[in-house]
Amino acid sequence: MQKVNPRLEIREKAINIIFISVALLSSLLLLAMLLFILRESWPIWSQVGVMDFLSGTTWRPVSTPPQFGIAPMVLSTMWVAGGALLIATPLGFGCAIFLAEFAPAPVAAVLRPVLNMLTGIPSVVYGFLGAAVLIKFFEIRFDLVSGESLFAASLVLAIMILPFVTANSEVALRSVGPEYRDAAMSLGVSRQYLALRILVPLARKGMLGSLVLAFGRAMGETMAVLMVAGNILMLPFSWFNKGEPLPALIALELGSSIPGSMHYQALFAAGLVLILMVIAVNLGVNLLLHRLRSGVKPF
Amino acid sequence: MSLRAITDLLWKAFFWLSGLFILLVLLAIISYLIWRGGPYINSQFILGNPAGTPLGSEGGILPAIKGTLWLVLLALVFSIVPGLLTAIYLSEYGRSGRLAEMINLLVQSMSGVPSIVVGLFVYALGVVTLGWGISLLAGGLALAIMVFPVIVVSSRDALLAVDENYRLVANSLGVAQSYTLRRVILPRAAAGILAGILLALGYAAGATAPIMVTAAAIIADSSGALLEPVMALPYHLYILFNEHISINQAYATALVLVILLLLLNTLALWLHSLQERINNR
Repeated sequence: MQKVNPRLEIREKAINIIFISVALLSSLLLLAMLLFILRESWPIWSQVGVMDFLSGTTWRPVSTPPQFGIAPMVLSTMWVAGGALLIATPLGFGCAIFLAEFAPAPVAAVLRPVLNMLTGIPSVVYGFLGAAVLIKFFEIRFDLVSGESLFAASLVLAIMILPFVTANSEVALRSVGPEYRDAAMSLGVSRQYLALRILVPLARKGMLGSLVLAFGRAMGETMAVLMVAGNILMLPFSWFNKGEPLPALIALELGSSIPGSMHYQALFAAGLVLILMVIAVNLGVNLLLHRLRSGVKPF
Repeated sequence: MSLRAITDLLWKAFFWLSGLFILLVLLAIISYLIWRGGPYINSQFILGNPAGTPLGSEGGILPAIKGTLWLVLLALVFSIVPGLLTAIYLSEYGRSGRLAEMINLLVQSMSGVPSIVVGLFVYALGVVTLGWGISLLAGGLALAIMVFPVIVVSSRDALLAVDENYRLVANSLGVAQSYTLRRVILPRAAAGILAGILLALGYAAGATAPIMVTAAAIIADSSGALLEPVMALPYHLYILFNEHISINQAYATALVLVILLLLLNTLALWLHSLQERINNR
């Protein structure tokens, strides 16, 4: 190729370099964040020990000697997020199949923006409504002194992640090639059969992926669980116990911890555990999905 | 009726019900908020300062609205330029290169970081280490980090959706890549990019956890000073309810917040569909 204008070429190179460096720097922010949080929490890992910190069941950060065990919070986090997934999955998948196969065009045209709007409602509003309406309802209906529980938090989170499960699963269902649909329809199977036996197995990778994303979101959600889960630092033994998931712990105690104290460092350690949990779930399921071939099972 | 017909009918009912359930949830949330909060919204509520004892049980929410606007503005100032440049790199300059793949992965992981962890990071870095204290600046930074991946992904997708032929033709005519980008690609993706920015704006305006630890105060005048704490709508709602200040004021605040965010969301959706029409033309 003939060089037309060397100055222009230099300018283009410079622009290219600017773009590369900005993109690189801003995405490396993630690693910087991880390193920074690791650094802030380092004394906890070296003094308390990884296993003791993770498996300890007592959290008394300011007593002497202080005790740092986050097992109750880790367990609460898993319980709340897992429960939310349990509730949201059937509804989300059902709605995704409805949108992809059954909904008449005008109904779908209403439902899609509605899903979008549900994602637009901030978590503090969900938490507020959960606490002001749902908890009140539990208290009156079941005659409880206080209605907060991990179950209530799961319910609120389920509503919050429902739009994400639905939207991503619908995309997965729609990305199945038309030849499967045509072949099935020409064989005269019902739409239900087509959806459940052909489209869902073919789209299962994407549908499971949508669940993982939703699970990560539910684990990291702060306001809703903070207002609904009850905030008690005890090991939860059932879905209907109160608990305090990791994000709530951090949000509640960070402001009152003295910077540089062990309490402060322990909160950073809790943050690191939370983010590693989210990453682990994502990676683990990605590996699993990698091995799971999508396809229609012969039967 | 055969067994197959019965199960088919049941499945169909289930699919319809789950679809209607979602519709019902949104309707219930909005109509309940309007029913409980609507009567308390008037010009004095929107334009007044918190009053009464405890403070906030009467009066208005103007400082919270102002604070939220400041926070969102600052978040956008911090995130739009790096976000757009990253998106352009991913869609135009880097394309399917190794580096772009890695950056894509990092941005994707970043969007999975819980917002409270972002708050934790900015608390340690800005509030403590750099000595900003609980401040508008720290909150703006936290929100900027939170919405950065949103802006990158939506702008990248808007740019990638521009017809490849424009790039090919421009390139074959010997037009400089930066010129093509500025005069051809960006204008054609503008509506989609703007939609993404509006989404990010709404996301930032509703976020509570990150500003709770970095920027928010129960009462502040939200003058816009960078190193002062501010009030914010979502945090104000949390305080009104959690500190048992006033449930009615809380419903009214929630309604204002939701209306604001739904307007933003609708505008973003409209821009998005506009973009699709542009792409299909």
